[in-house]
Amino acid sequence: MGRLTEKHNLKGTLVCVEGIDGSGKSTQLALLRDWLKSIGQDVIFTEWNSSELISQTTKLAKKKNMLSPRTFSLLHAVDFADRAKQVIAPALKAGFIVLADRYAYTAFARDVARGVDANWVRKVYDFAYKPDLAVYFDIDPKTSLERICFNRNPKFYEAGMDLKLSSDPYESYMIFQGRVINEYKKMVDEFGLVQLDANDSIHSKQVKIRELLKEVLREKGIEV
Amino acid sequence: MEHKTKNGYEGLLIVIEGTDGSGKSTQLELLKKSIQDKSYGVMVSEWKTSRLIANVIDDAKDRNLLNATTYSLLYAADFADRLENQIIPALKSGFIVLLDRYFYTALARDVVRGQDIEWVKNLYEYAPEPDLVFYLDMPVDVLLKRIIGTTGLDFYESGRDVGFSTDFYKSFEIYQNKCLEQYDKMKSEYNFISIDGTKQIKDIHKIMNDEVQKLLDSGILA
Repeated sequence: MGRLTEKHNLKGTLVCVEGIDGSGKSTQLALLRDWLKSIGQDVIFTEWNSSELISQTTKLAKKKNMLSPRTFSLLHAVDFADRAKQVIAPALKAGFIVLADRYAYTAFARDVARGVDANWVRKVYDFAYKPDLAVYFDIDPKTSLERICFNRNPKFYEAGMDLKLSSDPYESYMIFQGRVINEYKKMVDEFGLVQLDANDSIHSKQVKIRELLKEVLREKGIEV
Repeated sequence: MEHKTKNGYEGLLIVIEGTDGSGKSTQLELLKKSIQDKSYGVMVSEWKTSRLIANVIDDAKDRNLLNATTYSLLYAADFADRLENQIIPALKSGFIVLLDRYFYTALARDVVRGQDIEWVKNLYEYAPEPDLVFYLDMPVDVLLKRIIGTTGLDFYESGRDVGFSTDFYKSFEIYQNKCLEQYDKMKSEYNFISIDGTKQIKDIHKIMNDEVQKLLDSGILA
Protein backbone atom coordinates (compact mmCIF):
# COMPACT_ATOMS: atom_id res chain seq x y z
CA MET A 1 0.00 0.00 0.00
CA GLY A 2 1.14 3.50 -0.76
CA ARG A 3 -0.08 6.83 0.46
CA LEU A 4 -3.08 5.67 2.45
CA THR A 5 -0.88 4.09 5.08
CA GLU A 6 1.86 6.71 5.17
CA LYS A 7 1.66 10.02 6.96
CA HIS A 8 1.53 12.91 4.53
CA ASN A 9 3.96 15.75 5.01
CA LEU A 10 1.75 18.54 3.76
CA LYS A 11 1.04 21.71 5.67
CA GLY A 12 -2.70 21.17 5.93
CA THR A 13 -4.79 18.78 7.99
CA LEU A 14 -7.14 16.16 6.62
CA VAL A 15 -10.14 15.08 8.67
CA CYS A 16 -12.78 12.63 7.51
CA VAL A 17 -15.94 11.20 9.00
CA GLU A 18 -17.24 7.76 8.16
CA GLY A 19 -20.23 5.60 8.95
CA ILE A 20 -23.45 4.42 7.34
CA ASP A 21 -26.33 6.79 6.63
CA GLY A 22 -28.11 8.06 9.70
CA SER A 23 -25.02 7.80 11.87
CA GLY A 24 -24.95 11.57 12.34
CA LYS A 25 -21.56 12.12 10.72
CA SER A 26 -22.67 15.00 8.51
CA THR A 27 -24.15 16.87 11.46
CA GLN A 28 -20.92 16.46 13.38
CA LEU A 29 -18.84 17.66 10.45
CA ALA A 30 -21.07 20.71 9.93
CA LEU A 31 -20.72 21.65 13.60
CA LEU A 32 -16.98 21.20 13.36
CA ARG A 33 -16.80 23.36 10.27
CA ASP A 34 -18.79 26.21 11.82
CA TRP A 35 -16.62 26.13 14.92
CA LEU A 36 -13.35 26.11 12.97
CA LYS A 37 -14.52 29.01 10.83
CA SER A 38 -15.62 30.95 13.88
CA ILE A 39 -12.12 30.70 15.36
CA GLY A 40 -10.58 31.87 12.08
CA GLN A 41 -9.24 28.62 10.64
CA ASP A 42 -9.07 28.09 6.87
CA VAL A 43 -11.47 25.26 6.18
CA ILE A 44 -12.55 23.43 3.04
CA PHE A 45 -15.39 20.94 2.95
CA THR A 46 -15.78 18.14 0.43
CA GLU A 47 -18.29 15.34 0.25
CA TRP A 48 -18.67 11.94 -1.35
CA ASN A 49 -19.96 11.80 -4.92
CA SER A 50 -20.02 15.53 -5.55
CA SER A 51 -17.45 16.14 -8.30
CA GLU A 52 -18.46 18.22 -11.29
CA LEU A 53 -16.89 15.61 -13.55
CA ILE A 54 -18.99 12.57 -12.75
CA SER A 55 -21.44 12.83 -9.85
CA GLN A 56 -24.45 13.54 -12.09
CA THR A 57 -23.64 10.55 -14.30
CA THR A 58 -23.33 8.29 -11.28
CA LYS A 59 -26.61 9.54 -9.83
CA LEU A 60 -28.39 8.95 -13.14
CA ALA A 61 -26.90 5.49 -13.54
CA LYS A 62 -27.97 4.64 -10.01
CA LYS A 63 -31.50 5.79 -10.75
CA LYS A 64 -31.62 3.48 -13.74
CA ASN A 65 -30.04 0.59 -11.80
CA MET A 66 -27.35 0.33 -14.46
CA LEU A 67 -24.38 -0.35 -12.23
CA SER A 68 -22.57 -3.58 -11.48
CA PRO A 69 -20.48 -3.77 -8.29
CA ARG A 70 -17.38 -3.05 -10.34
CA THR A 71 -18.70 -0.08 -12.31
CA PHE A 72 -20.28 1.25 -9.09
CA SER A 73 -16.84 1.07 -7.52
CA LEU A 74 -14.99 2.65 -10.45
CA LEU A 75 -17.41 5.56 -10.89
CA HIS A 76 -17.07 6.47 -7.24
CA ALA A 77 -13.31 6.20 -7.62
CA VAL A 78 -13.48 8.68 -10.52
CA ASP A 79 -15.43 11.07 -8.33
CA PHE A 80 -12.98 10.67 -5.48
CA ALA A 81 -9.92 11.02 -7.73
CA ASP A 82 -11.33 14.20 -9.21
CA ARG A 83 -11.85 15.75 -5.79
CA ALA A 84 -8.58 14.34 -4.43
CA LYS A 85 -6.55 16.00 -7.18
CA GLN A 86 -8.53 19.19 -7.74
CA VAL A 87 -9.73 20.01 -4.23
CA ILE A 88 -8.12 18.00 -1.44
CA ALA A 89 -4.47 17.96 -2.52
CA PRO A 90 -4.23 21.69 -3.37
CA ALA A 91 -5.98 22.64 -0.13
CA LEU A 92 -3.65 20.46 1.95
CA LYS A 93 -0.64 21.96 0.20
CA ALA A 94 -1.97 25.45 0.94
CA GLY A 95 -2.40 24.62 4.63
CA PHE A 96 -6.18 24.27 4.90
CA ILE A 97 -8.06 22.04 7.24
CA VAL A 98 -9.90 19.75 4.83
CA LEU A 99 -13.12 18.23 6.13
CA ALA A 100 -14.30 15.23 4.13
CA ASP A 101 -17.75 13.76 4.53
CA ARG A 102 -16.82 10.17 3.67
CA TYR A 103 -13.44 9.15 2.29
CA ALA A 104 -11.86 6.11 0.61
CA TYR A 105 -13.04 3.96 3.55
CA THR A 106 -16.62 4.35 2.30
CA ALA A 107 -15.58 2.64 -0.91
CA PHE A 108 -13.74 -0.08 0.96
CA ALA A 109 -16.80 -0.76 3.12
CA ARG A 110 -19.51 -0.59 0.46
CA ASP A 111 -17.68 -2.17 -2.45
CA VAL A 112 -16.41 -5.10 -0.43
CA ALA A 113 -19.91 -5.57 1.02
CA ARG A 114 -20.99 -5.83 -2.66
CA GLY A 115 -18.47 -8.60 -3.27
CA VAL A 116 -15.67 -6.58 -4.83
CA ASP A 117 -12.22 -7.86 -3.88
CA ALA A 118 -10.92 -5.98 -0.81
CA ASN A 119 -7.37 -5.85 -2.06
CA TRP A 120 -8.40 -4.68 -5.52
CA VAL A 121 -10.37 -1.68 -4.27
CA ARG A 122 -7.63 -0.71 -1.80
CA LYS A 123 -5.16 -0.61 -4.67
CA VAL A 124 -7.52 1.50 -6.77
CA TYR A 125 -7.49 4.18 -4.03
CA ASP A 126 -3.76 3.93 -3.55
CA PHE A 127 -3.31 7.59 -4.54
CA ALA A 128 -5.36 8.93 -1.59
CA TYR A 129 -3.62 10.81 1.22
CA LYS A 130 -3.88 9.31 4.68
CA PRO A 131 -6.18 11.45 6.84
CA ASP A 132 -4.73 12.99 10.00
CA LEU A 133 -7.96 12.10 11.71
CA ALA A 134 -10.56 9.57 10.57
CA VAL A 135 -13.62 9.17 12.76
CA TYR A 136 -16.02 6.27 12.37
CA PHE A 137 -19.52 6.69 13.81
CA ASP A 138 -20.77 3.29 14.79
CA ILE A 139 -24.50 2.60 14.63
CA ASP A 140 -26.58 -0.54 14.19
CA PRO A 141 -28.50 -1.03 10.92
CA LYS A 142 -31.90 -0.89 12.63
CA THR A 143 -31.34 2.54 14.19
CA SER A 144 -29.89 3.78 10.91
CA LEU A 145 -32.96 2.57 9.02
CA GLU A 146 -35.31 4.21 11.51
CA ARG A 147 -33.44 7.50 11.18
CA ILE A 148 -33.42 7.64 7.39
CA CYS A 149 -37.06 6.52 7.20
CA PHE A 150 -38.19 9.70 8.92
CA ASN A 151 -38.34 11.34 5.55
CA ARG A 152 -37.72 8.76 2.82
CA ASN A 153 -37.47 5.09 1.84
CA PRO A 154 -34.16 3.27 1.47
CA LYS A 155 -32.71 3.73 -2.04
CA PHE A 156 -31.94 0.85 -4.40
CA TYR A 157 -28.17 0.68 -4.01
CA GLU A 158 -28.14 1.88 -0.42
CA ALA A 159 -30.37 -1.09 0.41
CA GLY A 160 -28.09 -3.37 -1.62
CA MET A 161 -31.07 -4.34 -3.77
CA ASP A 162 -28.64 -4.99 -6.65
CA LEU A 163 -27.36 -7.98 -4.69
CA LYS A 164 -30.82 -9.58 -4.51
CA LEU A 165 -30.45 -10.34 -0.83
CA SER A 166 -34.17 -9.90 -0.28
CA SER A 167 -37.07 -8.54 -2.30
CA ASP A 168 -38.06 -6.41 0.68
CA PRO A 169 -36.03 -3.17 0.64
CA TYR A 170 -36.14 -2.82 4.43
CA GLU A 171 -34.89 -6.33 5.05
CA SER A 172 -32.31 -5.96 2.27
CA TYR A 173 -31.11 -2.70 3.85
CA MET A 174 -30.61 -4.43 7.20
CA ILE A 175 -28.57 -7.26 5.67
CA PHE A 176 -26.51 -5.09 3.34
CA GLN A 177 -25.73 -2.31 5.82
CA GLY A 178 -24.86 -5.01 8.36
CA ARG A 179 -22.17 -6.14 5.95
CA VAL A 180 -20.99 -2.55 5.42
CA ILE A 181 -20.67 -2.12 9.19
CA ASN A 182 -18.62 -5.31 9.42
CA GLU A 183 -16.21 -3.90 6.87
CA TYR A 184 -15.96 -0.61 8.79
CA LYS A 185 -15.18 -2.47 11.98
CA LYS A 186 -12.34 -4.33 10.31
CA MET A 187 -10.90 -0.99 9.22
CA VAL A 188 -10.77 0.44 12.73
CA ASP A 189 -7.55 -1.49 13.30
CA GLU A 190 -6.37 -1.67 9.70
CA PHE A 191 -6.39 2.10 9.16
CA GLY A 192 -6.56 3.44 12.70
CA LEU A 193 -10.09 4.83 12.45
CA VAL A 194 -11.32 6.35 15.72
CA GLN A 195 -14.62 4.71 16.59
CA LEU A 196 -17.32 6.80 18.29
CA ASP A 197 -20.71 5.58 19.42
CA ALA A 198 -23.33 7.19 17.17
CA ASN A 199 -25.93 6.78 19.93
CA ASP A 200 -24.21 9.35 22.14
CA SER A 201 -25.63 12.87 22.23
CA ILE A 202 -24.72 15.38 19.54
CA HIS A 203 -23.00 17.45 22.20
CA SER A 204 -20.84 14.70 23.64
CA LYS A 205 -19.75 13.54 20.19
CA GLN A 206 -18.84 17.10 19.22
CA VAL A 207 -16.83 17.57 22.40
CA LYS A 208 -14.95 14.37 21.67
CA ILE A 209 -14.26 15.16 18.02
CA ARG A 210 -13.00 18.67 18.87
CA GLU A 211 -10.63 17.18 21.44
CA LEU A 212 -9.32 14.73 18.87
CA LEU A 213 -8.78 17.47 16.31
CA LYS A 214 -7.11 19.80 18.81
CA GLU A 215 -4.65 17.02 19.59
CA VAL A 216 -3.88 16.48 15.90
CA LEU A 217 -3.40 20.21 15.35
CA ARG A 218 -1.22 20.52 18.45
CA GLU A 219 1.13 17.90 17.00
CA LYS A 220 1.45 20.16 13.96
CA GLY A 221 2.21 23.12 16.19
CA ILE A 222 -1.22 24.72 15.84
CA GLU A 223 -3.01 25.71 19.05
CA VAL A 224 -6.76 26.26 18.83
CA MET B 1 -18.29 -26.97 -18.46
CA GLU B 2 -14.60 -26.54 -19.29
CA HIS B 3 -13.77 -24.58 -22.43
CA LYS B 4 -10.60 -24.80 -24.48
CA THR B 5 -10.42 -21.05 -25.00
CA LYS B 6 -7.92 -18.87 -23.19
CA ASN B 7 -10.68 -16.47 -22.20
CA GLY B 8 -12.42 -19.23 -20.28
CA TYR B 9 -15.83 -18.92 -21.95
CA GLU B 10 -17.42 -20.69 -24.90
CA GLY B 11 -16.67 -18.06 -27.56
CA LEU B 12 -13.47 -16.54 -28.89
CA LEU B 13 -11.94 -13.24 -27.88
CA ILE B 14 -9.87 -11.59 -30.60
CA VAL B 15 -8.21 -8.22 -30.16
CA ILE B 16 -6.71 -5.79 -32.65
CA GLU B 17 -4.34 -3.36 -30.97
CA GLY B 18 -2.24 -0.51 -32.24
CA THR B 19 -1.87 3.24 -31.92
CA ASP B 20 -4.18 5.73 -33.58
CA GLY B 21 -4.01 5.60 -37.35
CA SER B 22 -2.48 2.13 -37.47
CA GLY B 23 -5.37 0.73 -39.52
CA LYS B 24 -7.23 -1.16 -36.79
CA SER B 25 -10.77 -0.27 -37.87
CA THR B 26 -10.17 -1.26 -41.48
CA GLN B 27 -8.80 -4.63 -40.45
CA LEU B 28 -11.59 -5.15 -37.95
CA GLU B 29 -14.21 -4.68 -40.67
CA LEU B 30 -12.44 -7.10 -43.01
CA LEU B 31 -11.99 -9.71 -40.31
CA LYS B 32 -15.59 -9.37 -39.23
CA LYS B 33 -16.77 -9.99 -42.75
CA SER B 34 -14.54 -13.00 -43.35
CA ILE B 35 -15.67 -14.61 -40.08
CA GLN B 36 -19.30 -13.92 -40.93
CA ASP B 37 -18.74 -15.58 -44.28
CA LYS B 38 -17.72 -18.72 -42.41
CA SER B 39 -21.12 -18.69 -40.66
CA TYR B 40 -19.86 -17.84 -37.20
CA GLY B 41 -21.59 -15.36 -34.92
CA VAL B 42 -19.49 -12.20 -34.66
CA MET B 43 -19.76 -9.29 -32.30
CA VAL B 44 -17.64 -6.16 -32.45
CA SER B 45 -16.95 -3.84 -29.56
CA GLU B 46 -14.87 -0.70 -29.71
CA TRP B 47 -12.91 1.12 -27.07
CA LYS B 48 -14.80 3.84 -25.21
CA THR B 49 -18.31 3.04 -26.37
CA SER B 50 -20.14 2.05 -23.18
CA ARG B 51 -23.65 3.41 -22.74
CA LEU B 52 -22.71 4.29 -19.20
CA ILE B 53 -19.72 6.51 -19.55
CA ALA B 54 -18.46 7.08 -23.11
CA ASN B 55 -20.16 10.46 -23.50
CA VAL B 56 -18.82 11.58 -20.13
CA ILE B 57 -15.29 10.92 -21.33
CA ASP B 58 -15.85 12.88 -24.54
CA ASP B 59 -17.43 15.77 -22.68
CA ALA B 60 -14.68 15.86 -20.05
CA LYS B 61 -12.05 15.79 -22.76
CA ASP B 62 -13.74 18.66 -24.58
CA ARG B 63 -13.63 20.72 -21.43
CA ASN B 64 -10.13 19.61 -20.39
CA LEU B 65 -11.45 18.39 -17.07
CA LEU B 66 -9.30 15.28 -16.78
CA ASN B 67 -6.19 14.63 -14.76
CA ALA B 68 -4.12 11.47 -15.23
CA THR B 69 -5.95 9.57 -12.49
CA THR B 70 -9.50 10.43 -13.53
CA TYR B 71 -8.48 9.71 -17.14
CA SER B 72 -7.39 6.18 -16.16
CA LEU B 73 -10.39 5.49 -13.97
CA LEU B 74 -12.98 6.71 -16.48
CA TYR B 75 -11.59 4.43 -19.15
CA ALA B 76 -11.50 1.58 -16.64
CA ALA B 77 -15.18 2.18 -15.85
CA ASP B 78 -16.04 2.24 -19.55
CA PHE B 79 -14.17 -1.01 -20.02
CA ALA B 80 -15.82 -2.71 -17.04
CA ASP B 81 -19.27 -1.75 -18.29
CA ARG B 82 -18.63 -3.09 -21.80
CA LEU B 83 -16.96 -6.20 -20.49
CA GLU B 84 -19.82 -7.09 -18.16
CA ASN B 85 -22.69 -6.06 -20.41
CA GLN B 86 -21.50 -6.88 -23.91
CA ILE B 87 -18.30 -8.87 -24.11
CA ILE B 88 -18.77 -11.57 -21.48
CA PRO B 89 -22.44 -12.23 -22.33
CA ALA B 90 -21.44 -12.63 -26.01
CA LEU B 91 -18.56 -14.96 -25.11
CA LYS B 92 -20.90 -17.02 -22.95
CA SER B 93 -23.26 -17.45 -25.89
CA GLY B 94 -20.41 -18.67 -28.10
CA PHE B 95 -19.80 -15.58 -30.21
CA ILE B 96 -16.50 -14.62 -31.73
CA VAL B 97 -15.91 -11.22 -30.17
CA LEU B 98 -13.71 -8.81 -32.10
CA LEU B 99 -12.32 -5.93 -30.12
CA ASP B 100 -10.92 -2.67 -31.36
CA ARG B 101 -8.35 -2.13 -28.59
CA TYR B 102 -8.22 -3.88 -25.22
CA PHE B 103 -6.72 -2.91 -21.87
CA TYR B 104 -3.27 -2.79 -23.49
CA THR B 105 -4.31 0.62 -24.81
CA ALA B 106 -4.95 1.79 -21.27
CA LEU B 107 -1.63 0.39 -20.07
CA ALA B 108 0.25 2.24 -22.80
CA ARG B 109 -1.57 5.55 -22.46
CA ASP B 110 -1.81 5.65 -18.68
CA VAL B 111 1.84 4.76 -18.12
CA VAL B 112 2.87 7.48 -20.59
CA ARG B 113 0.71 9.84 -18.48
CA GLY B 114 2.82 8.95 -15.46
CA GLN B 115 0.70 6.30 -13.75
CA ASP B 116 2.36 3.43 -11.97
CA ILE B 117 2.11 0.37 -14.23
CA GLU B 118 1.17 -1.95 -11.37
CA TRP B 119 -1.65 0.37 -10.39
CA VAL B 120 -3.04 0.32 -13.93
CA LYS B 121 -2.63 -3.45 -14.23
CA ASN B 122 -4.64 -3.85 -11.05
CA LEU B 123 -7.51 -1.86 -12.58
CA TYR B 124 -7.80 -4.45 -15.35
CA GLU B 125 -6.65 -7.59 -13.57
CA TYR B 126 -10.06 -9.25 -13.94
CA ALA B 127 -10.11 -8.95 -17.75
CA PRO B 128 -10.23 -12.31 -19.57
CA GLU B 129 -7.18 -13.29 -21.59
CA PRO B 130 -7.77 -12.94 -25.35
CA ASP B 131 -7.33 -15.96 -27.60
CA LEU B 132 -5.54 -13.83 -30.19
CA VAL B 133 -4.03 -10.36 -30.04
CA PHE B 134 -3.00 -8.75 -33.30
CA TYR B 135 -0.75 -5.75 -32.96
CA LEU B 136 -0.38 -3.37 -35.89
CA ASP B 137 3.12 -2.02 -35.68
CA MET B 138 3.56 1.36 -37.35
CA PRO B 139 6.48 3.79 -37.36
CA VAL B 140 5.64 7.21 -35.98
CA ASP B 141 6.38 9.15 -39.18
CA VAL B 142 3.84 7.06 -41.10
CA LEU B 143 1.29 7.47 -38.30
CA LEU B 144 1.74 11.22 -38.31
CA LYS B 145 1.10 11.51 -42.05
CA ARG B 146 -1.97 9.29 -41.82
CA ILE B 147 -3.51 11.22 -38.97
CA ILE B 148 -2.76 14.66 -40.30
CA GLY B 149 -4.20 13.53 -43.64
CA THR B 150 -7.43 12.22 -42.11
CA THR B 151 -8.75 13.33 -38.73
CA GLY B 152 -6.10 15.86 -37.86
CA LEU B 153 -4.21 16.06 -34.57
CA ASP B 154 -6.39 15.70 -31.49
CA PHE B 155 -5.47 17.24 -28.11
CA TYR B 156 -5.31 14.00 -26.08
CA GLU B 157 -4.07 11.77 -28.92
CA SER B 158 -1.20 14.19 -29.17
CA GLY B 159 -0.64 13.92 -25.44
CA ARG B 160 -0.99 17.68 -25.12
CA ASP B 161 -2.50 17.18 -21.64
CA VAL B 162 0.80 15.66 -20.49
CA GLY B 163 2.74 18.78 -21.39
CA PHE B 164 5.56 17.30 -23.47
CA SER B 165 5.50 20.26 -25.85
CA THR B 166 3.15 23.09 -26.75
CA ASP B 167 3.82 22.37 -30.41
CA PHE B 168 1.16 19.95 -31.65
CA TYR B 169 3.43 18.12 -34.08
CA LYS B 170 6.27 17.77 -31.61
CA SER B 171 3.91 16.71 -28.84
CA PHE B 172 2.29 14.05 -31.02
CA GLU B 173 5.67 12.70 -32.00
CA ILE B 174 6.89 12.43 -28.41
CA TYR B 175 3.59 11.04 -27.11
CA GLN B 176 3.15 8.40 -29.80
CA ASN B 177 6.80 7.35 -29.51
CA LYS B 178 6.33 6.83 -25.81
CA CYS B 179 3.15 4.82 -26.45
CA LEU B 180 5.02 2.68 -28.97
CA GLU B 181 7.72 1.99 -26.40
CA GLN B 182 5.03 0.70 -24.04
CA TYR B 183 3.50 -1.49 -26.75
CA ASP B 184 6.93 -2.88 -27.53
CA LYS B 185 7.32 -3.94 -23.91
CA MET B 186 3.94 -5.66 -23.99
CA LYS B 187 4.57 -7.68 -27.15
CA SER B 188 6.13 -10.67 -25.44
CA GLU B 189 4.40 -10.27 -22.08
CA TYR B 190 0.96 -10.60 -23.68
CA ASN B 191 1.85 -12.74 -26.74
CA PHE B 192 1.03 -10.14 -29.37
CA ILE B 193 1.08 -11.29 -32.97
CA SER B 194 2.94 -8.28 -34.27
CA ILE B 195 2.22 -7.31 -37.88
CA ASP B 196 4.03 -4.69 -39.91
CA GLY B 197 1.32 -2.06 -40.34
CA THR B 198 2.89 -0.59 -43.46
CA LYS B 199 2.05 -3.75 -45.44
CA GLN B 200 -0.83 -3.78 -47.92
CA ILE B 201 -4.30 -3.94 -46.38
CA LYS B 202 -5.07 -7.28 -48.02
CA ASP B 203 -1.77 -8.81 -46.91
CA ILE B 204 -2.39 -7.82 -43.31
CA HIS B 205 -5.89 -9.23 -43.53
CA LYS B 206 -4.57 -12.52 -44.88
CA ILE B 207 -2.20 -12.90 -41.91
CA MET B 208 -5.04 -12.27 -39.47
CA ASN B 209 -7.50 -14.47 -41.28
CA ASP B 210 -5.00 -17.34 -41.45
CA GLU B 211 -4.39 -17.13 -37.70
CA VAL B 212 -8.11 -17.16 -36.97
CA GLN B 213 -8.62 -20.08 -39.36
CA LYS B 214 -5.82 -22.01 -37.67
CA LEU B 215 -7.51 -21.50 -34.33
CA LEU B 216 -10.89 -22.57 -35.68
CA ASP B 217 -9.37 -25.62 -37.35
CA SER B 218 -7.93 -26.68 -34.01
CA GLY B 219 -11.50 -27.35 -32.92
CA ILE B 220 -11.40 -24.76 -30.18
CA LEU B 221 -15.10 -23.98 -30.53
CA ALA B 222 -16.17 -27.60 -30.79
